Amino acid sequence: MFRYYLKLGTRSLRRNPFLTALMVLILGFGVGTSMTAFTVMHVLGGDPMPHKSARLFVPQLDNGSMEGYTPGDDPDFQLSYIDTMNLLKDARGKERTAIYGLAPTIDSGRADLPPFFEPGLATMASFFRMFEVPFRYGGAWDESAEREGAFVVVISRELSERLYGDTDPTGKQLRIDDRDYRISGVIDDWRPVPKFYRLLGTGAISPIEHVFVPFQNAIAREWRNNGWTNCSGSSREPGFAGFLKAECNWIQYWVELPDAQSVSEYRDYLGAYHAEQQKLGRMPRPANFALRDLREWLAFNEVVDADTRLQTWIAFGFLLVCLVNVIGLLLAKFTARGGEIGVRRALGATRMEIVRQYLVETVVIGAFGGMVGLGLSYFGLAIVDKYGLGEAGIARMDVSLLFATVALAVVSSVLAGLLPTWRAAQVTPAMQLKSQ
Amino acid sequence: MHQMRKLSKVYRTHLIETHALRGFDIHVREGEFVAVTGPSGSGKTTFLNIAGLLEEFTDGEYLIDGVPVRGLDDNARSRLRNEKIGFIFQGFNLIPDLNLFDNVDVPLRYRGFKAPERKARIEQALERVGLASRMKHYPAELSGGQQQRVAIARALAGDPRLLLADEPTGNLDSAMARGVMELLEEINAQGTTIVMVTHDPELAQRAQRNVHIIDGQVSDFEHVSPLVRPVAKHAAVA
Repeated sequence: MFRYYLKLGTRSLRRNPFLTALMVLILGFGVGTSMTAFTVMHVLGGDPMPHKSARLFVPQLDNGSMEGYTPGDDPDFQLSYIDTMNLLKDARGKERTAIYGLAPTIDSGRADLPPFFEPGLATMASFFRMFEVPFRYGGAWDESAEREGAFVVVISRELSERLYGDTDPTGKQLRIDDRDYRISGVIDDWRPVPKFYRLLGTGAISPIEHVFVPFQNAIAREWRNNGWTNCSGSSREPGFAGFLKAECNWIQYWVELPDAQSVSEYRDYLGAYHAEQQKLGRMPRPANFALRDLREWLAFNEVVDADTRLQTWIAFGFLLVCLVNVIGLLLAKFTARGGEIGVRRALGATRMEIVRQYLVETVVIGAFGGMVGLGLSYFGLAIVDKYGLGEAGIARMDVSLLFATVALAVVSSVLAGLLPTWRAAQVTPAMQLKSQ
Repeated sequence: MHQMRKLSKVYRTHLIETHALRGFDIHVREGEFVAVTGPSGSGKTTFLNIAGLLEEFTDGEYLIDGVPVRGLDDNARSRLRNEKIGFIFQGFNLIPDLNLFDNVDVPLRYRGFKAPERKARIEQALERVGLASRMKHYPAELSGGQQQRVAIARALAGDPRLLLADEPTGNLDSAMARGVMELLEEINAQGTTIVMVTHDPELAQRAQRNVHIIDGQVSDFEHVSPLVRPVAKHAAVA
């Protein structure tokens, strides 16, 4: 009977194309709007490394002064240089890496390409291993280059193609802030969303940096942090050396902890480290430290902020309004078909058969509404990409969202069809047949 | 076959009660052609709706093949309607966006017949009413008489034992009405029981038995119709 009802449903929709188009469009707009908002939330709230996110952790230590101290405050999200170096030296965890932002000048030496600033990172070779960065050419620098702070660089595919076209540039020299760096590797397409390893401002959706130099090299060159720096205490020695000794937090630190036991041990270690530093005259506040895994880190930084959530709720509210309109149109449509329902009932259709027939018709409306909604979602996401997020290709649908869109439309149409269908099944055949 | 005993039907609103049928007794036997007559508002259509299980009754007893129908759920009533009763309406009540084939197909779908059997039954039913060549036409392309013939084919396709006809010629001119009436007589002659509500005394005279209703009660009955030769014996009002 399903095929029969499907045939009747499509025929009925063809009979009144204007009303059908109106219902499909209303449903499509509701679904398209809500799925656009939901996709943005889904992308931002997604797990960029689902197979590893439970093993990647950010330690936080409170090195603030007692001035302005409020119990219960979270520790800063970055570490000071002192703490970073101490944690690196203690070498706890399977892997660890430190990161800070740069904005060096790139000089290609080409007459047609004047020097330009490019966002970069000072980091360690472990960064590429921990975050499973894919390489198009070459790879990260080796341990000795790391220790010595060698003049080596990893560049993004985008920068590589801009400077060297499609050729392999590894081994070539690239001039960065007036010094030559040997290119050790070119990162392949890699776009973690959200960009979890360094969450600053709108950084959650920004593209990756284009130059990556060894942490010690950047320190040796006295490159300042390009990003958020939070200092406490007023006394500070002058110059870059003084900055390194100050209680200024500007370095993002990650550690890989393979199992629950190592997580527990690391927490103990942070507690012990805090106590030790207090003995040395630092960290005057009561013990305050945290260890968050990747997902907790995204939540802590409110990557999906309240505004985004609110927008999603409003969009689903709009879908509800659309559904109410579809209910009204379906009621009108099904009421007008009371005569046919009466005939079918007289000829042996049970109430359930009538319900099935009309629900299948609403499913057909839902399927078409889903297709319109899908098209509008793609359009909406393109608009969001261009004017909202500012980056093409971030807000995109995966297969599960695609199916979710169609399913949402069908479920919505069935929900909208419940009342009209129930009303249709209640038609008294005798009344309808006489009034025909 | 179909028997109503002391049956009553009361329509109630919060202000008034209307007794459409009261103490209604009738027994329609297999193969009869019964014409039900009476003035407007006498309860003819209510009787027909209750006989066709399209309406519930308030009190009394209604038996189909000796089985009481009171208390049957919607599924059981629908199945009985589908298997044992065929309807012919004054307004034909064909579904306008289905062609003749699909219109006749409707009751067979609910019966659960497979496609080949449905096709055979539809073709046979349309053949019987002389419209087999027009099965791909739509109702709007037919005259009133032809539409009523399609409605008869639809009613017959499932081989019901009882045909309930409510003013089957009420919307037709006299020539068409005569044709439809002849068809009904032919169907009755082949063994199908027919109960026909009509205002037309001429048509009523052609039935095997007349039942006259006034104020929701059977006021008179009469064995008539020298024209028809029913297969079964004459029925009597119980």
